[in-house]
Amino acid sequence: MFNIRRISTSRWWHKKKSWVFFAIFLFLVFVRISKGSLYKDFYYFISKPFWPGQFQKEIILKSLDQESFIKLNLLKKDNKRLREILSLQKSSNIDYISAAVISRKTGSWWRQIILNKGLKDGVEIGSIVLGPGGLLGRITNISLFTSSVTLITSPESKLGVWVDRIQINGLLVGLGDDYPSLIIYSKDADIKVGDFVTSSPASTLLPPNIPIGIVHSVDETLKSKKTAKISLLAKPHLIDWVQILKLNI
Amino acid sequence: MNKFFIKKLSIISFIFIPIIFLWHPNWLGFLGVQPYWPLFWLLPWSMINGSINGLIFGLFLGLILDSITLDSNFTQIPGLIFCGFLFGRIKLHNDILVEHFRYGLICSFGSFLCGTFHFLQILLINYSDSNSLMFIPGVKNILAEVFLTGFFAPFICSQLLRMFKFSRRKPQK
Repeated sequence: MFNIRRISTSRWWHKKKSWVFFAIFLFLVFVRISKGSLYKDFYYFISKPFWPGQFQKEIILKSLDQESFIKLNLLKKDNKRLREILSLQKSSNIDYISAAVISRKTGSWWRQIILNKGLKDGVEIGSIVLGPGGLLGRITNISLFTSSVTLITSPESKLGVWVDRIQINGLLVGLGDDYPSLIIYSKDADIKVGDFVTSSPASTLLPPNIPIGIVHSVDETLKSKKTAKISLLAKPHLIDWVQILKLNI
Repeated sequence: MNKFFIKKLSIISFIFIPIIFLWHPNWLGFLGVQPYWPLFWLLPWSMINGSINGLIFGLFLGLILDSITLDSNFTQIPGLIFCGFLFGRIKLHNDILVEHFRYGLICSFGSFLCGTFHFLQILLINYSDSNSLMFIPGVKNILAEVFLTGFFAPFICSQLLRMFKFSRRKPQK
């Protein structure tokens, strides 16, 4: 009879634990590739009882003065007519979706909010998110029930903007703090504190004329360009209800 | 069932880290910044289970946290792997008071490492645009996070460590 020697029974692939770890690893890689959709949907259900109520929404809606609302509509119609005459980019075929903020990361490096509207409500990647005051960010990830918004204060955000008073385009870069930086690639630009910044008519990501912020401070130390800190009109750390713009630019 | 939950307490608590990370309770923040939550779990886990386990679960935590944050260019994995490995080398101390201070200091150091890794990635990616210097004021994010993580660590880590030890003990017959 041969003596059958058990060879290398203690190899790692013989251990059940190693395969369990490997399976968990594969699952997490799947979660990573799917950008945490499963997790966000799970969070959607467990956070449901804690969503902001209707109260704030009512206050915001009531605070819209009726007179300015009518004026705004008249101006919109006027603007649309003039844009058609000049054959400019249209911003009229807009559809709004109201959504509540169910998760908010407005400090540190990760600046994002998660909304309670997702794929099932017709939200699309790239849609614009507005809060009372102006632009908040763009939707960069969607799950079935939720959508994640990269705020314009995030280090990942770079947008084309327009300074109306001096009629110049600039680049708005999020820095990971509450004041994104406006870069104007012209040393001669006469930008001043208090100038109003809107989305650029030349931008391919945003519709034109969406209010963004006001110039907070100007830095002229760089040789080839000017930079300015922008104070945002919409405050992402306070807003509980937002509007998602479904649009075709 | 109850026995199962007690035994798997550490793994069950692992699931709550991304939830707290998403929840982001503002009333706990300082300068709008939150403590770095994953370290509170990773420290007791690594201290009990050793460096290799710490490293593996640092990777798992990094994967799951990367998947719920939108930054596709930046990752938290290197910082968490390094912290998991490092925390596994730390031995438990007998003096309760010293132990509590140690949790604070170790978590602060870990938070500083993770924050610095993240910051360096941002600088590196924006280096080509020559805009990287604009990100320097973001250092305040790291400092606020270090402070908060160090502040809360003694309370949370000691409780988690006690919980993990309890779940590992063998049932008495």
